Amino acid sequence: MESALPLHERSVGWRKWVLRFPSILYLGLMILVPLIVIIQDGLSEGIAELVYQVSLPIAKHAIQLTLWTSALMTLINAVMGLITAYVLVRFEFPGKRLLNAIIDLPLAIPTLVTGVMLVMLYGPQEALGQFLSTKMGIEVIFAPPGIVLALLFISFPFVVRNIQPVLQDLDLTQERAAETLGANSWQTFWRIVFPALVLPVINGSLLSFSRAIGEFGAVVVVAGNIPLRTQTAAVYTLGAVESQNRLGASAVSILLISIAFLVLLMTNLIQKKWGAH
Amino acid sequence: MSIRLEKISKHYGQQVVVNNVSLEVKDGEFFVLLGASGSGKTTILNIIAGLIQPEQGKVWLHERDVTTLPTQKRKVGFVFQNYALFQHMTVAENIEFGLWVRQVPKAQRQRRSDELLELVGLVGLGGRMPGQLSGGQQQRVALARALALEPEVLLLDEPLGALDAKIRVDLRRSLKRIQRQSGVAAVLVTHDQEEAFDLGDRIGVMNFGRLIEVGTPHELYQYPRTEYVASFLGSANLLLGQVKGNEVMLGKNSFPLPVESHAFSANDRAQILFRPEDVALAKHSSDLGCLPLGQGKILEKGFNGPNEHLQVELPAIQGVRPIAPAVPYGNTGILMDVNRSPEQSTNLPILPGEEVWVGIRRLHVLSHPGMSFLLIADGSLRSQSAIVTGGYLARMAHARVTMLGIGHDEGKLDAFLQEARKELGSGMASCESQIAIEPFGEAVNHAIERQPVDLVIMGWRPTSGYDQPEQVLRAGNHHLLLATEPMARISKALVCLASGEPGKDTVNFAGRLLRHIGAEATLLTVIQEEPNDDYSQSRVERFLEGGQNSLARIGVLSHARIRKGPLSKATKEEVETGDYDLIILGAPLPDSQGHIGLSSSIGSIISSVENSSFLIVQSQQYQRLQNRLWRTA
Repeated sequence: MESALPLHERSVGWRKWVLRFPSILYLGLMILVPLIVIIQDGLSEGIAELVYQVSLPIAKHAIQLTLWTSALMTLINAVMGLITAYVLVRFEFPGKRLLNAIIDLPLAIPTLVTGVMLVMLYGPQEALGQFLSTKMGIEVIFAPPGIVLALLFISFPFVVRNIQPVLQDLDLTQERAAETLGANSWQTFWRIVFPALVLPVINGSLLSFSRAIGEFGAVVVVAGNIPLRTQTAAVYTLGAVESQNRLGASAVSILLISIAFLVLLMTNLIQKKWGAH
Repeated sequence: MSIRLEKISKHYGQQVVVNNVSLEVKDGEFFVLLGASGSGKTTILNIIAGLIQPEQGKVWLHERDVTTLPTQKRKVGFVFQNYALFQHMTVAENIEFGLWVRQVPKAQRQRRSDELLELVGLVGLGGRMPGQLSGGQQQRVALARALALEPEVLLLDEPLGALDAKIRVDLRRSLKRIQRQSGVAAVLVTHDQEEAFDLGDRIGVMNFGRLIEVGTPHELYQYPRTEYVASFLGSANLLLGQVKGNEVMLGKNSFPLPVESHAFSANDRAQILFRPEDVALAKHSSDLGCLPLGQGKILEKGFNGPNEHLQVELPAIQGVRPIAPAVPYGNTGILMDVNRSPEQSTNLPILPGEEVWVGIRRLHVLSHPGMSFLLIADGSLRSQSAIVTGGYLARMAHARVTMLGIGHDEGKLDAFLQEARKELGSGMASCESQIAIEPFGEAVNHAIERQPVDLVIMGWRPTSGYDQPEQVLRAGNHHLLLATEPMARISKALVCLASGEPGKDTVNFAGRLLRHIGAEATLLTVIQEEPNDDYSQSRVERFLEGGQNSLARIGVLSHARIRKGPLSKATKEEVETGDYDLIILGAPLPDSQGHIGLSSSIGSIISSVENSSFLIVQSQQYQRLQNRLWRTA
């Protein structure tokens, strides 16, 4: 440390900007400037106009649909991701390595392809889709269940991959100690294992939520583009851009950005508050 | 009896981690399992707790067979080395967890946790989180948590291992006090012998999955039965000498045989133990105050706390072989550790380099003779098989090893042996090497004359012929292992038996060896007569049953098999059905010139079987008979 400090102090004047300037410039050009442009654009007619734009029936429905399908997906993802991670870490079974590899697949598959796959499986002309709609009365494609399925598919890795490393590092002797104290496996899971996983579950869930609200590719194929029925916020935005409704597009975009930003902020706060312990 | 383990065995893959362990812990007793890491002690603790299932054997807690009972129902308190406290619960919640599981009302839970906090000396800290406590405090919480349910037995897995030396001693005292107060039987696992001596009412010493000896700290230190325990506990001066009648002979010096050793002084060779504090030093032999051993030179001097610690080197004594402390490579003398009290060192100040007389105040003869192996190496690829296989067997059986390098090029052999010693590595009882620049037969004869051994191990391929093995067998009444490939694991052995007295010897030695390595045996007898001979069939069955019984007594699992037909063909068939690593055969009886012919008899078996090593066991009975004949002649 003693030798490193003077070296650090010596890099004064223009020298210390040699590396910093390009990276700051890059960050600014790539991320900040577009953000500023869209915010400035959305606010160009004043806040009232922005509020008006997002409260138009079609826009409002699209935003609501996006939020509730994403929320539902997040809930399912949290539970299933937790179970999947627990099974993957704590149990041995044939095909475990394969399953572990498959989990990352949704990140690699283009989301548009995801949508096509779901249509091929649940489409009204397909066997499963037909069975679900005629026998069970559940429409999947061009309906909200399709959106939830698509979102589940694309964001599945987020929860699992957040829990896995924590669970792996979790001291197995704590579980064994609980066993020697008479706890059954259910009590051990809820009282000993789960409390340690709350944080990664919340983290992963929030991440998958913010990933989901902006999803376009998979959703547009599965849900179609039916205003007031299956049009999500991202799809609405595209329509607005195409129909020269620049203000509508930027207003919904700003809302999506704000929600995503808020979620990120929450994740960081939670991390700071409980993660330190 | 709080805990009773009955012939517990456990393997991980092919490796035996717990090898036929039986153990009893009395009510209220503090029992310590002591052993190096990997000796299986923690596995035993986990088996008692039900966290690991044994493959064989039974676990009894308070006369209740709990072998198949899950951990939750065993009523054991378990303390882990890393505390294993529930990090997100307070200290009190941790302690109350077991009571919460049993749905004890909150008020009662609180009362109990207050009691326990007081017992372990942490009053007022119930509201803290584990992370806010020091290591020693955390372990006290873990102890309180383990005691909360008033367990029938308390199991402690190196509970003090992760703590500083000072805190360790403090906590050790509290641990003993708390155990006494609660009256619960405790088993503590540790590799720290000071801890074991301090805490244990009795100690069990473990090595390679076997419980080697059990006794009070005093018994184990003063009167160990095995070489392993003698050298593992404290520092030991261990010499191989002789017992004749009521005297212990170390070269020309004789010492009276201690009373407790009288019962087992039958055999000639004996391991003689004396502790560093049992050695007397003086300028003149008349001032020793005890019987002298010889004159030596002081090599080193140091202090271990109050006592002075010296190392003395004595010149080699004819017929005495040092076992511990280990003599450095190439050295011929005998090293000896000496401890002197402050009083003794003031009365007779000694400096390194000085010549002194060395005497022994008190000695102890080990009842268990221990095995010794001779590894023959000539620097070839073949001898690599002998070194790997011999090293494995010696480690498991805790046998003393002599490596004998035979060849023409002394420098090359020396380098090879040094390399081999490195390869054999740790876990060896004692390992020395010799180099012989002379023909094979003479070299082996000389080595055996200098120091008789139990087993000679040499690398061998069917193409090498039977000359050298025959020469080895002729050199003495030891057994011979022909290692065909480097084996670091033997789990199944085939014992080929001719029924009758020599066969019993084969079973006895095979059992002695297999017990150490935790391998199972198949006893095979081939009947060559026509199959309708009921009498010989039932006689062989009885004989094999006897063999199985003797093996079972020392804890070796065995199967019996009878085959009919020509010897080598039937044996080969059996070898092909089972996956044997080792084939054990009785050596043929020597002819009138003392020559043992392998090629004519068991040669047909050896050459027909591939990929396994052979152990040729010589009948000791025959040897004894022969000795008697010679003596009368």
